[in-house]
Amino acid sequence: MPALLGPPVLAVLMLLLATFGARLGSREENTRWMLMGALEMGVPLLAGVVAATLPSRDPVAELRLAIPHGYRPALLRRLAVTLGCTAACAVAVSAALMASGWWTFAYGGAAGQLVWLAPALWLAALGFFAAAALRSTAAATSLVAFVWTGEQLFGGALADNPAYRLLHLFATTSWGSDGWPINRLFLLATAVLLAIGGWLLLGNTERVLRGEPE
Amino acid sequence: MIASLRYEFAMQVRRPSLWIVYGLVLAVMVAVLDYWSLDLDVYEVSVPKEAMGVAAQIIVTLLPIVYGCMLADRPSRDRVLRVDGILDTTPSGRTARLIGKYAGVCAATAVPLAITYFGRALLYVLVEGQPSALGWAAVTFLASILPGLVFVGALAFAGPLLLPPMVFRVLFVAYWFWGNLIPANLMPTLSHTVFSATGEYVRYGLLTPISPEYGRDSAVLDFLRPDHTPATAWLWIGVMIALAVVVLSLVRLHASRSES
Amino acid sequence: MRIDVSGLTKTYKGGARALDGLSLVVPTGMYGLLGANGAGKTTFMRILAGLLRPTSGRVMIGGHDLAAAEGRLAVQRTLGYLPQDLGVYPDLSARRFLDYIALLKGLHSRSARRRRIGELLEVVALSDVADRKLKGFSGGMLRRVGIAQALLADPRLLIVDEPTTGLDPEERIRFRTLLSQLAGDRTVLLSTHIVDDVAQTCRSLAVLAHGRLAFQGTVGELVSQAHHRVWTVTTPGAAPATGRVVSALPDGAGMRYRVVSAAPPGPWARPAEPTLEDGYLVLMDGRVP
Repeated sequence: MPALLGPPVLAVLMLLLATFGARLGSREENTRWMLMGALEMGVPLLAGVVAATLPSRDPVAELRLAIPHGYRPALLRRLAVTLGCTAACAVAVSAALMASGWWTFAYGGAAGQLVWLAPALWLAALGFFAAAALRSTAAATSLVAFVWTGEQLFGGALADNPAYRLLHLFATTSWGSDGWPINRLFLLATAVLLAIGGWLLLGNTERVLRGEPE
Repeated sequence: MIASLRYEFAMQVRRPSLWIVYGLVLAVMVAVLDYWSLDLDVYEVSVPKEAMGVAAQIIVTLLPIVYGCMLADRPSRDRVLRVDGILDTTPSGRTARLIGKYAGVCAATAVPLAITYFGRALLYVLVEGQPSALGWAAVTFLASILPGLVFVGALAFAGPLLLPPMVFRVLFVAYWFWGNLIPANLMPTLSHTVFSATGEYVRYGLLTPISPEYGRDSAVLDFLRPDHTPATAWLWIGVMIALAVVVLSLVRLHASRSES
Repeated sequence: MRIDVSGLTKTYKGGARALDGLSLVVPTGMYGLLGANGAGKTTFMRILAGLLRPTSGRVMIGGHDLAAAEGRLAVQRTLGYLPQDLGVYPDLSARRFLDYIALLKGLHSRSARRRRIGELLEVVALSDVADRKLKGFSGGMLRRVGIAQALLADPRLLIVDEPTTGLDPEERIRFRTLLSQLAGDRTVLLSTHIVDDVAQTCRSLAVLAHGRLAFQGTVGELVSQAHHRVWTVTTPGAAPATGRVVSALPDGAGMRYRVVSAAPPGPWARPAEPTLEDGYLVLMDGRVP
């Protein structure tokens, strides 16, 4: 339930900021940065934590594993529902920002959705992969949290590193549109690889049944 | 209390995922931040005291998030494993067990963090030939890192007991970024205040003093940002410990209400 | 160690009443507590162990009032408790787990602790696997670790809640024997829904139904409630329409039924010797006049 409630709460907070931001005394550019930041950073954080939590928390995993195609598809459906809810809220908020003039980023419309979609999918894939590999919610969440926090700080220091420019999650708010499409595509491609890795690991029934190695 | 401390420490410190996660994080720090380079290509590190301060700054910026997340699933572990029934029928006091568990889990989770920090100090001693760095590392760790960990540990200990775990994880990460890392002039924040857990009051007020005007823009909540002085350094240490006590008292109160 | 319970009521949040004015005296020795699932046994056990507070009523154990914090502490010092849903730390060995619980129970002397743990591991026949992690233990082995931890402080009161559930027949018999041997001058309160466990180990028992005391007395007295009410019927046709069928065994071309009924369930019904299970069923069916 918290996984489904988080995105609407974030969306409402962002819409409130968009509505009353100018009246709060904050500079307009600050408010704009915060709105884009909430979209590019807040949404992926929710997606990453949800994806890191779900694979380790299935009380009926043994039952599902005993049914043909019962475990991984069920897990995927749960992820799809929670991430779908996050995506729906993010689409609604970004549409509202575009319509209200807060969105001044060079890419708008459908391409503009990659502002949140690419980092959200990447962090979700990382959380999913880490949870499958480490079989521990705490460990998977720690990695998601570290990467999320680290990316906030590395953006400035590593702006000139061409390899890092491909992998930076928050390129929109850090650097703007320079090299942005390639960054987004690279994030999506690596997210797919991480997700496939997680999917394969969860196919090992014995590993899943063993639970956390401690 | 000692029994809980001893066994909770042993169980947490032998947890493989703790070392795997810290190992991965350290690998990223070395690869991305050039953590072992000693000067990070930015700082002047010929003075051991300053070098240890820089290392502490990097550590408390990035690692408490791992520290908090890795210990957050321990408070509810007894209930999840259904051991609480047996523990609660022993004559040991619940408050003593809570404190022992908190201290043991926090100490164990801080071990890899301390190894990362003191490892760098040792490398500094070997490369620079200044053994005093180890002493400064110990002082910096105790004064500028440990109080923050005491508070963050209490927060991560209490959060999952008072909130749904998934909500707590998101809020904890958001809190760490908002309350400790973002620039003070970006939005109203606890960052750089005496409530921030990053220990800068000790580093800049006690260990390597800097000018009061250095790097300061006016910001909301500036009344919580007194100048960096030895007095405010001690104030920060007191605030961290007091906050930890308050948070742990809330946990105990919550447990008492659940019992009744 | 005598247990005196009077007017004990426990109502959970939401209004579910698990115990309803229960009054009971448990003497020293092995004592059985029978009841269907949901009868209130576990709630009663948890109140005795100091884990739950009653909504009303009084519990005195060995002269200590459980309503007072000092009373609870005094009881916990003499208590061994094996909960129904026993949990352990999977990453500890049996020896280390027992060591931790022993420390919490106040056994601070390392040498005394080691000696006691060694003795108990012998008693529960786990010495060979004492240093193996608990995550590899079977259900029966974990139950034995559970009883070992309950005995660490040489308790005068031993509370065991559904201890044989899920055990194989061999483990069950071993466990029952162990509990009987432990009774001696202790009070061992055995809560179960498996009638046979009580029949094989206890002289006295109580039966709970819907949070109330349905019976208190000896095993013989409960069995006697079924006198002249147990029958065997061998028939090639359907089961007897009257009474409660306790068992059905194929017998040649037909079936042999064991039936609990106030009147003979058919013209060919023959009286049979009642067991504790029959007495329990008669009691539960409310067929006693």
